Amino acid sequence: MAARAVLQNLLSIHPLISNLTRCQTTAFTVSIRQLFTQKNKEDFSKTVSLIPYREENTAANVVKRKPYSPFQNTNTKVEYALARVDDLLNWARKGSLWPLTFGLACCAVEMMHFAAPRYDMDRFGVVFRASPRQADVIIVAGTLTNKMAPALRKIYDQMPDPKWVISMGSCANGGGYYHYSYSVVRGCDRVIPVDIYVPGCPPTAEALLYGVLQLQKKIKRMDIVQKWYRK
Amino acid sequence: MSKYIEKFNNLRTIIKANGGLKGSFLQLYRTDELKIGDFVGEDKYGNKYYQNKYYFVGRSRWVQYVDKVNMDYDGSQIPAEWHRWLHYTTDDPPTKVPPVEREWIEPHTENMSGTPQEYVPYSTTKPKIESWIPPRKS
Repeated sequence: MAARAVLQNLLSIHPLISNLTRCQTTAFTVSIRQLFTQKNKEDFSKTVSLIPYREENTAANVVKRKPYSPFQNTNTKVEYALARVDDLLNWARKGSLWPLTFGLACCAVEMMHFAAPRYDMDRFGVVFRASPRQADVIIVAGTLTNKMAPALRKIYDQMPDPKWVISMGSCANGGGYYHYSYSVVRGCDRVIPVDIYVPGCPPTAEALLYGVLQLQKKIKRMDIVQKWYRK
Repeated sequence: MSKYIEKFNNLRTIIKANGGLKGSFLQLYRTDELKIGDFVGEDKYGNKYYQNKYYFVGRSRWVQYVDKVNMDYDGSQIPAEWHRWLHYTTDDPPTKVPPVEREWIEPHTENMSGTPQEYVPYSTTKPKIESWIPPRKS
C-alpha cells in the first residue's frame, strides 16, 4: 500500500512519469489479496513488483538456463517423482555405455581410433566389452554380409535390455558400395532395429564419437518408468 | 621445491579465472575440463572461443558454450565460420577475417534430430523392387 501511495504522489508531481507507468496504474486498482492468489506467474511478477524501474532491468539480465531434465510437464506429485527416477536411470545409463564391438570391415579401424587416446572414448564412460551379455550397445562397423546376418541377429538377441544399436558406415547403413552385391545385406536395419546411423565411408572417429553423444542424448529422453505408470 | 610452488600457483590462477572454487566445480561438472586461455571471440549464439598455445594442437582451441543451453550443448551449435577455426582449418578467426557472404548460404541450424523439426528423408522415384502382396484365397 505504501508503494501505491508513493506512486500516486509521483504521478501528481510529474506528468512524464505518469506516461511511463500508465500500463501499471491499471494493475494497482486491483486489490493486493487478489494479486497474491492469481495463478498466472508472469502477471504476478509484473504487477506485484515493488522495485523501481531502474533496478527492474537488472533482474532480466539473469540467463535462464535450459533445465537438465527433458521431463518438465509433470502434473501430479507421483508423476514428478517418477520423472526424477527416470532422470536418474537415464543418467546412469548414458554415463556408462558399454559397446559390443562388431567390427566387420575397415570401419572397425576407425572404431579402434575412437578407443585410442586422441578421441578417448573412456572419458564418456564408453568401454568396449567383448561379450554380448554385458553390453548395452552394439556398434555394427562394416559390411554386413548374408553369411554374417544370422550371427548378428543372434548376438543382438543375446544382449540384455535395454539395448541400442549404432550402425556405422555406409555399408551398415544401407549396403553402401556393395548395395547391388548378391551376398550383402542392404543395411543392417533389415536385421536389427537401429538407433543411430553414422554416415561416412568410413566415418571418422570424430563422427562415431558424435554418434555416441547423440545416442546419449536419446537415452536421456527415455521414459520407461513414466510409461509404465501411465499404463 | 620451486617447481611445486609454480604448479600450485598455476592451479590457483586457473581456479581464480574460472570463478573461484564454486565456479571451477561447475565448470568441471559441465565440461570435464579446467583450462585457462585467451578470449578470441564470440559467435552470434553467444558461444565463446578461447585459445592457449600452451596446450598441444587439438586441445589448444576450445569453445565455451552459451550458458542458456546448460547441459544440452552439442557440436552442431557451432556455426560454420567458427567451426573452421576450431578445427585448425585456418588460423584466422572470423573476427579477424570475416567470412565471405554468398546469397545461397543458408542460416546455420543445429542438429534437430530427435525434435519435431528433424529431417526425414523421402524418395521421389518409383521403387525398383516392389513388395509381394500374397494372393487372396477364395
